[in-house]
Amino acid sequence: MTPGADNREFPEGAAIRPDGMPRRDFVKLLGASIALAGLDGCIREPDQKILPYIDGNNGVIPGVAQHYATSMTIDGFATGLIVESHEGRPTKIEGNPDHPASLGAAGVFEQAAVLQLYDPHRARRVTAGGRATTSQAALAAFAPAALANRVGATGAGLRLLLEPTSSPLTSAWLDRVRERYPSSRVYFHAPLQSAAQLDASRQTFGAPLLPRYDFTQADVVVALDADLLASGPFHLRYARDFSTRRQRPPRAELYVAECSPSPTGNVADNRLAASPTVIARLLASLLSTVAADPRTAARAIAVDHSASTLALSEAEKAWVSSAAGALLRAGARGVVVAGERLPVECHVAAHALNAMLGAAGQTVVYNASPIVGAGEPSHDIMALQADLASGDVDTLVILQGNPCYAAPGNVPLATQIKAIRNTLYLGMYDNETARASTWHIPAAHFLEAWGDSCACDGTESMVQPLIAPLYDGRTNDEILSVLAGAPDTAHALLRQNWQRRYSHVGDIGAAWTDAIQRGLVMGTQPPVTTNVRADAVVPAHRALIASAQAAPSAGTIDAVFAPSRAVYDGRFADNAWLQELPDPITKLTWDNAALLSPRSAQQLGVTSGDVVEVSVGNQSLRIPALVVPGHADGVTSLAIGYGRTGAEAIARGVGVNVNALRTSVAPHAAIGGRIRGTGDHVELAVTQGHWTLEGREDSVLGITPPPAPSDTTPASSQPRKRRPLTLYEPPAPSSAGFGADQWAMVIDLDQCTGCSACVVACQAENNVPVVGKDGVLASREMHWLRIDRYLSGPPETPSFDTQPMLCQHCEKAPCEYVCPVDATVHSDDGLNEMVYNRCVGTRFCSNNCPYKVRRFNWFDYNDELTPVEQMVKNPQVTVRERGVMEKCTFCVQRVRHAQRDADLAGAPHTGPVQTACQQTCPSQAIVFGSLTAPDSEVAKLSNDPRAFSALAEEGTVPRVRYLSRKRNAGA
Amino acid sequence: MPALFSRRATPLARSVLLAACAAVVAVPSFAMGWVRTPWARGEHRHITQPVPFDHRVHVTGLRIDCRFCHSGVETTAQAGLPPTQICVSCHQRLWLSLPPMSAVRHSVEMNQPIAWQRVNQLPDFVYFDHAMHVNKGVGCETCHGRVDETGDVTQAAPLTMGWCVSCHRDPAPHLRPLDAITTQGYQPAPGTSGTALMAAYHVRRLTNCTTCHR
Amino acid sequence: MTGGVLPMPAEPPVAPVMHDVPDDGVLTTQLLAPNWTPSRGWWPLFLISGAFTVLFVVGMTVTFTRGIGSWGNNIPVAWAYGITDFVWWIGIGHAGTFISAFLLLLNQRWRASVNRLAEAMTIFALVNASLFPILHLGRPWFFYWLMPYPATTGVWPNFKSSLPWDVAAISTYFTVSLLFWYLGLVPDLASARDQAPGLLRRRIYGIFALGWRGRAVEWQHYRVAYGLLAGLATPLVISVHSIVSLDFSITQLPGWHSTIFPPYFVVGAIYSGLAMLLMLMLPVRRIFGLEQIITEKHLDNIAKLILVTGTMLAYSYICEMFGAWYSGETVERYSMLINRPFGPYGVLFWAMTLMNVVTPHLFWWKRLRVDTVVLFIAGLLIWVGMWLERFIIIAGSLTRDFLPSSWGVFAPTWVDWSLLLGSIGLFSLLFLTFLRWVPFVPLSEVKRLRYELQRDQIAGPRA
Repeated sequence: MTPGADNREFPEGAAIRPDGMPRRDFVKLLGASIALAGLDGCIREPDQKILPYIDGNNGVIPGVAQHYATSMTIDGFATGLIVESHEGRPTKIEGNPDHPASLGAAGVFEQAAVLQLYDPHRARRVTAGGRATTSQAALAAFAPAALANRVGATGAGLRLLLEPTSSPLTSAWLDRVRERYPSSRVYFHAPLQSAAQLDASRQTFGAPLLPRYDFTQADVVVALDADLLASGPFHLRYARDFSTRRQRPPRAELYVAECSPSPTGNVADNRLAASPTVIARLLASLLSTVAADPRTAARAIAVDHSASTLALSEAEKAWVSSAAGALLRAGARGVVVAGERLPVECHVAAHALNAMLGAAGQTVVYNASPIVGAGEPSHDIMALQADLASGDVDTLVILQGNPCYAAPGNVPLATQIKAIRNTLYLGMYDNETARASTWHIPAAHFLEAWGDSCACDGTESMVQPLIAPLYDGRTNDEILSVLAGAPDTAHALLRQNWQRRYSHVGDIGAAWTDAIQRGLVMGTQPPVTTNVRADAVVPAHRALIASAQAAPSAGTIDAVFAPSRAVYDGRFADNAWLQELPDPITKLTWDNAALLSPRSAQQLGVTSGDVVEVSVGNQSLRIPALVVPGHADGVTSLAIGYGRTGAEAIARGVGVNVNALRTSVAPHAAIGGRIRGTGDHVELAVTQGHWTLEGREDSVLGITPPPAPSDTTPASSQPRKRRPLTLYEPPAPSSAGFGADQWAMVIDLDQCTGCSACVVACQAENNVPVVGKDGVLASREMHWLRIDRYLSGPPETPSFDTQPMLCQHCEKAPCEYVCPVDATVHSDDGLNEMVYNRCVGTRFCSNNCPYKVRRFNWFDYNDELTPVEQMVKNPQVTVRERGVMEKCTFCVQRVRHAQRDADLAGAPHTGPVQTACQQTCPSQAIVFGSLTAPDSEVAKLSNDPRAFSALAEEGTVPRVRYLSRKRNAGA
Repeated sequence: MPALFSRRATPLARSVLLAACAAVVAVPSFAMGWVRTPWARGEHRHITQPVPFDHRVHVTGLRIDCRFCHSGVETTAQAGLPPTQICVSCHQRLWLSLPPMSAVRHSVEMNQPIAWQRVNQLPDFVYFDHAMHVNKGVGCETCHGRVDETGDVTQAAPLTMGWCVSCHRDPAPHLRPLDAITTQGYQPAPGTSGTALMAAYHVRRLTNCTTCHR
Repeated sequence: MTGGVLPMPAEPPVAPVMHDVPDDGVLTTQLLAPNWTPSRGWWPLFLISGAFTVLFVVGMTVTFTRGIGSWGNNIPVAWAYGITDFVWWIGIGHAGTFISAFLLLLNQRWRASVNRLAEAMTIFALVNASLFPILHLGRPWFFYWLMPYPATTGVWPNFKSSLPWDVAAISTYFTVSLLFWYLGLVPDLASARDQAPGLLRRRIYGIFALGWRGRAVEWQHYRVAYGLLAGLATPLVISVHSIVSLDFSITQLPGWHSTIFPPYFVVGAIYSGLAMLLMLMLPVRRIFGLEQIITEKHLDNIAKLILVTGTMLAYSYICEMFGAWYSGETVERYSMLINRPFGPYGVLFWAMTLMNVVTPHLFWWKRLRVDTVVLFIAGLLIWVGMWLERFIIIAGSLTRDFLPSSWGVFAPTWVDWSLLLGSIGLFSLLFLTFLRWVPFVPLSEVKRLRYELQRDQIAGPRA
């Protein structure tokens, strides 16, 4: 879409082919012609070699996968993971069931991280001034011996810039560096980090605390611009907790007011599209309504009473009254959640509300932030800028992150860093910052690194490597140890630090082993507090009312900046899986856009794909618009993380960099910007083109069309029962062969938020290729599992339905009888089998598939993978060649493996099998199993009154059944 | 007007026509026949190994059990080739210095694996599981032939899908008691019936495609 | 009507099946003359067709080396130009056999002078038609897996699918048509052998004439064999396109899932074939001055056939729409009544309706039935219209099926175009070659017909 995008070097494994005959095609043609001659019997596969180990006792058994616990850290908060490894190469990442931030689930970023380990565009060499050098030379230059001469004995000229970190090890080594250079200074920066939350808690609790919610206990949840189920450090846990709660009657009510539709909004009972101003208005009147109610008298807190003067629209009134009513009904079992990046007063108001409801201590607790120096000036980018501007900085050491790209528009960090004489950058990529620095040392991927980190509840989590660094990458701590003059390997550093910290337990051997095996250290959460300082509330409330009354001047538009759901803040921009992951809401791939409500777009006279010019202050940029029903009017949402200009071949030129519009004062929302159409138009690679069901709600979603939100009559959640017409009796499951099991899946549409973790999980497990932007534009995306999203009701206030759509494994599969070569057939145990090596590619099956879930290899998508890229492939799944069909197999490799194990163990029944999508689903919407297994849950659920088959009237008798959406009456 | 063609033209034309018709039948039939021959399948093709390892000596002579070297065969999909250490464990003093063992020596000294040539080669889209077979009464000999009688191991079975499926459709005749799994030249004891073994080992007719193709 | 000499009731008598025909010797010399020296304009045409054929080869090479991805196909539209071209050519192939075999059995004398052209058209159309299914495979080098043969894998084709039957039907049809065409040629090749200037040509024609002498016994065997082949070819006209139509009607895709497809497709096939026959016959008639043997009678009859088949086709269109409406099924109705006329390919639908449904009704007027310009333009319109029909049925139905989330449209790439235009190029290349070296008017049959007509004039027409 940007000029750069078109002449971009194509992503590995993408469909964009350079012209001319690709390398191997001639050979293929040769093979083809021989085969055409009917003599393929003579062609023998090239001879292979077998290389046994020298020493067999290395714990690795060829062909048997191993699993290790580690954790991934984003903006300082750890999520525990279990990583699958084949002969020493990690191939699949799952959540760690023991870890509080995961509970066994993994999100899109965690799932996709493994691809980035093998990214061929990672920086491979140490450079000085752009020229290659040795790591010894680089490290020597920063050892005290050399560095002290530059920065002075006390390190007056030394500055460090890190991403926010909660690592005890890093913290310890920062101290060591400060000991060595007392007058050096350390700064932290992450573009999506917000000081507001901590400032608010310091005002309210007198300490920088983080709220932590317990949704298993919540009857009513009110979320204000908080995508608590699909983003934020603890979202996996929250999604799991909320779904657990929702499985238990009475059904928990979810009230959402948000600017841009989110997965959380998808499952809300009562959703209101609200601009930042409106959010303030809602919160202010919610606060005074609740404060005024006798039921909260016991815990009353003084508030500002001028809130009554606020002019609320009808919709806002309705939302506030029903939300307030529900909260007051629920009392201590209700909770108010304010979005991370909302201003301070919003967080204070949320704390006050939870205190008055008595929720504090029940559904929400507060613990100290594990982030090093949380809420201190060291996290203020302005301080850093001032310091750099002062000119007495000689050496700047940047450990990870990409400040030169991510700095707000009013902070010229890139130029400042360039200006510094001596800068060291430790980073995985040759990116914007690397290019602005004098020294660049490749960083280790977390799957290559030893270290530690903390979850946002303070749980100490271990980071252990699964593979030796591919490109000699270093970790933060290794660099810090060099600066401190005690260089050592990360492993040694971690051990030493353990010795020091856990010396009181004596020999740490057992504790260490336990921590490494679990991936975390038990019982390391800090204590929690709940007592609110009432005096903070009135001023906050006043501030709220003030900002709520700020009437938007005509013609202006607010800009809200959010992390991309694909590439976060840009750190995942070189990850092809994520670039091609359809956004859960807009289904946009390989791009970011200015999201606009239908009304705003209409006023501007633009439609999706039209390029608009958004300007804030004196900064402005051109970006394609994308119309999103359910978005707030008068606001545009811009995803950061795009428009990268580094050396990463995939990231470069994808989308637009919107950081320029952000300011250090208001990094997350800019009030009073301007927007205008430019007359240009570009094609946006959106994977879904049609959003309404054309009167097919009953057949597809098992519901009668949902009423407009204003209407309070409950939608029927009782699908019409349809027996498919057939002349024959359905075949009885045969007891021969695998027939003992009958595999089936149930997907609960009431739990699915559409977060898309399952899509990436499927891609990783099943070697699903990436087709690139051109491929998506030609509607050739390969995802075996896609998430359909349908809108109903008026476009201003639509209601959303998400539906994971995958091969339905029909008992009477239309694809099977049309295949001329029996390449897709039915197994005794109810799987619709796809035999790649038999497929000749007539594509007849796809034409006859009512669900259009079959995917075709239009090109040889794996043809040009480098040996390193090939390492990510799951050895248990065939890598498909050009010209064959593929589709969801119910993870047959896992099924057959479980059956094999049961068989060898002589067990009467196959053990539980989890499909990749099911295993990672944070909200447990997917259940897979055998209908014939003893007390099988999938059998129970498929007879649930809510259960239905998609397009049942086609008589395909799918083995995937859906549970139709519930809606709370009156909510 | 002179004759256009000589006398021999007619028989010639006839035979050409005949030959053409015959070719239409013959060529495909030959192709189908050819792919059924051992040559097309590479059976008994001599393969030079880095070490002139002789199964006769180890199996017949020394009576070493197959599983001593191919240790994974009972538990994992891959039977596995022995780590160099296994060779050395016996050959420390025995002939390790002799020329034929140079590759083993080299492997130990240079700490580099021995590059054996694969003999039985299945396509990548076939997921074969040794454990599943040897635990269900399919002997080594059934697919690998009399390794105790062959110096250099060659492909002993057709390894075509038809060959695999013939057994998957009707396993009974190919089964043997578990204690005779590694027996070479196995002769069923009187009274052992394949069907009885099928029942005993819960052997099923696995003809689903995803049994082998995933 | 039987012999062309019977007057039509309502209208003044049309021209006889042939008139002012010179005696055999002159006729033979006159009709074989084009085979000895190229006529004006042959070389330019030949070169142009050659150029397009090269384009065809380029398109095929790209398809084989880079994959189907070089086409515009996608999910949901997995079939588009490739299959459209296939069905279109197969359909065109039907008119030839229809005219030569069907009408032979029905003892339609007027077929005699045009059947050679029609059969040649059939053969060349089938050459194209049989290329596309292979081009269209994702892994064309395994095309033979669609044929039943004892493979070492121990697996066979899936006979429930219509595609293996396609292969069988097309190859049978091709073989029979080829034999039928060649058998008809033998006596004329013999005449060519006897007339050809120069020994070499005489020899070459001689080889292909298989030593035909024209003895009574040879003629006797010849008539029997010809009749048998005609008997064999006639049911194929019906069966082949019925089987092709099953590629669509056995599915449950709205717009394909319809029981009227077999007759509907056969009619359409003959319709398109007759249209193309006009486009080939009229120029040939003009250039080589064949007015006395390809008379207005022929034009009139072909126009009438077009009128009949065209009307039957229109009826099928209506049935299709009605069936969808009558089913009451949401998706069926949407696909046929909303998507087809007003969807992404709505414009093509209306153009197609104009070309296929309206055009033939010009031929209610006799004047238009014999007006060569009108006939040629009508032929062209129907020829294009029938391609559009196939495209709308195939790609149009796929764009919007059951789940709105997966709807998508197809846009052709340059490879798609090169295959379509290239196949037309190959066709004309073959046809020009045929005109240049093969007796394109069946001498023997024309002569025979002439004697019959003379005898009729003496003895009065036989019933």
